[in-house]
Amino acid sequence: MSRTAERLARLLSMVPWVIEHPGAPLDEVCERFGYRRDELVADLNLVFVCGLPGYGPGDLIDVYLDEREVTIEMADYFARPLRLEAGEALGLVAAGTMLMATGQASPALERAVDKLTSALGVTDELAIEVAAEPELVGVLRQAAEEHHPVEIVYTAVGDGSTTTRIVEPWLVFTTLGNWYVTGFCRLAGARRVFRVDRIRTATPLRERFEPPAEPPEPDVTYVASPEDAVAVIELDPPAYWVAEYYPVEIVEQRDDLMRVRFFASDPSIIARLMLRLGTHGRIVEGDEAQAATDDLRRRILARYGVTISQ
Amino acid sequence: MRRVMERILNLLAFLLTADRPVTADEIRQTVAGYDQDSDEAFHRMFERDKELLRSMGIPLELRPTDVWEVEFGYSVDPERYRLPEVDLTDEERLALAIASQAVRLGGHTVGPEALMKLGGLGPAGGGEPLGAELGMRAENLSTAFEAATERQVLRFRYRGRSRVLEPYGLLHQRGHWYLIGKEGGEIRAFRMDRADRFEAGEPGAFERPPGFRLQAAVPDEPWAIGDQAVTATVRFDERVAWWAERQLGGSVERAEDGGVVATIEVANPAAFFGWLITFEDSAEILTPEDLRQRFIEQVAP
Repeated sequence: MSRTAERLARLLSMVPWVIEHPGAPLDEVCERFGYRRDELVADLNLVFVCGLPGYGPGDLIDVYLDEREVTIEMADYFARPLRLEAGEALGLVAAGTMLMATGQASPALERAVDKLTSALGVTDELAIEVAAEPELVGVLRQAAEEHHPVEIVYTAVGDGSTTTRIVEPWLVFTTLGNWYVTGFCRLAGARRVFRVDRIRTATPLRERFEPPAEPPEPDVTYVASPEDAVAVIELDPPAYWVAEYYPVEIVEQRDDLMRVRFFASDPSIIARLMLRLGTHGRIVEGDEAQAATDDLRRRILARYGVTISQ
Repeated sequence: MRRVMERILNLLAFLLTADRPVTADEIRQTVAGYDQDSDEAFHRMFERDKELLRSMGIPLELRPTDVWEVEFGYSVDPERYRLPEVDLTDEERLALAIASQAVRLGGHTVGPEALMKLGGLGPAGGGEPLGAELGMRAENLSTAFEAATERQVLRFRYRGRSRVLEPYGLLHQRGHWYLIGKEGGEIRAFRMDRADRFEAGEPGAFERPPGFRLQAAVPDEPWAIGDQAVTATVRFDERVAWWAERQLGGSVERAEDGGVVATIEVANPAAFFGWLITFEDSAEILTPEDLRQRFIEQVAP
C-alpha cells in the first residue's frame, strides 16, 4: 500500500471507533491507532471538510474537537470499519487457532477467536495441528515469561551427544512441525536454538535473567558456517523432495536428475539422509559426509548381524 | 496528500450512499475535487484513485447502470464494505493482537491495518513468549481459505496438472499446509506448497458436509498413510528409549535393561524407515521378518 493508502486505512478505522465513542479521549485514540497528537488533529481536520455532495453545513461530517476529546457525527456511512481482507482474516484466525492448538491460549483469546470466526462465517475451514509437547512447552514458556533460567538435559540432533546446560529462555516457538526454544546458552556462551522434543528434562532455576531488548524471531535460521559439513548430492526424481525440505543450493536441475549442495552442522545429518534416500541419492562430492554415511551403514547393518566388506 | 485524501473520502462517502452504480461523468460533476478542466486530467486522476481504493481492499465494482447494459457505473456495496459486528472486549482484542504478533506466515505477521479495523493496535514490542512460524506466505493460502469459507470451487495447478476442487479447508500439520476438499466424489489432500495458479469461482457453489473434520483427511503418522498396514515390533535401546516413547505415545513395553519394545502400525515403509534411521544403530526391527529384510536392503542397497 502507498503512504496515502496507509493513512486512509488508518483514518477509516479511527473514524468508526470515534463515532461509536462520543467524547473519545484524544490520548486513547492516539494509542489505539498509533497516532502522534498532531497527526490525529491533522486527520480530524481533514474529516470535517468532507461529506456528501452539496457540501453544505448539513452535508459535511461534524467533528467536535477540543484539547482533550473528540466527537464525530453525521457520518453514518463511515460508522463501520472496512471488512478484513482475506489475508488479514486468515492471519488473525491462524494466529488464534495456532495458540489454541498449543493449549496455551488465554480464555480471552479463545473468546476472541470464537467471536471473530462466527462474525466471519468461518466454521471449521482452518485447522492447525502442532507437534504437541505440552508439558515442556508449558514449563519453558512460563520460564521465558518470568525470566527464569532453566537447566536442561539435551540430546543433540546432530551427533546424539547428551549434555546438561543452563539456558536463559527468550522464546518458545514452533515451525516446520517441531517445537524450539531459543535463548542464551551459558554452556556455549551464545544464543542457541534447541529442539524441545530433544530436551529430556527442564528444571527452572530460582534466579532471574535480563531478557534481550529486542524479541528474537521465531525462526530456525540456519546459517552455513565454515565448520559445516558440505556434500554435493545427486538426486533421482523420487528424491526431489529433498530440495523442498532442506535449505539446499541447487547446483544443477534436469528432468531426470538434480544436483544439490547440502550443508549441515554435522556430517551424521547427511549420513542419515543418504541412508533414507537409498538408491535415489548419491554423494558426488564430500569425503567427510561419505565417510559418515559408510560408518552409519556399517553400524546399522552390524546391529542386524550383517557385515559388509569395504 | 491532503487534497487526495479529501477527494477520496468524498468519493467513498458518495459511493457508499448512492444506492445505484454511478458513472464516471456523474462523479466528475458531483463529487468535490474531481472538477478538472480537461478530460484527460480527470481520467488520469480517477484511474489513480480507483487503484488506490482497490489496493486498500475496498470492494469497488463496475456495473451496468440499467438493464440494457449500455452504460456502466461504479458502486461500493455497503454490505460488502462493512466489517460485520465482532464486538470484542478490550481484553479479547488485546489477546488477539498479541497472538497475531506471535504467529507468522512466511516471516510476516498480520499488519497493523487489520488490528485497527478491530478497534486498535496491541501493546508495542510483542511480549508473548510463545511464537510460531507457519511457513508460507499468505497469498495462495488466503485465496484457498476464502474459497473454503465462501464455498467457491477452486481451480489450480498441482505438480503440472490442473485440478478442480470443492475446498473444505486448510490444515497445517507437521510444518506443512494441506488443502483438503472433494474432487470427483473423493476427499483429497494437496500440499499447498506444490500448488499454484489458484482461481476461485462464484460463492455458494457447493455444500460442505456439516461436521467434516479436516484432520480426518490426513493420517496422523506419515508411515500410517498407505494401503495395507503391518504390525511391527521395534526395540529401542535405553539411550533413545525416552525419545521413541515420547514420539510413539503409549504402545511400548519396558525391558529389564532400560530399553523398550514398541508395537507400531506401518502402512508406508519408506516413511517409517526414514524415521527409524534417525535412531541410527540404537533401534532394531524385531518382527516381521520381511520388513526387517526390506530395512536391511534400504540401508545397504
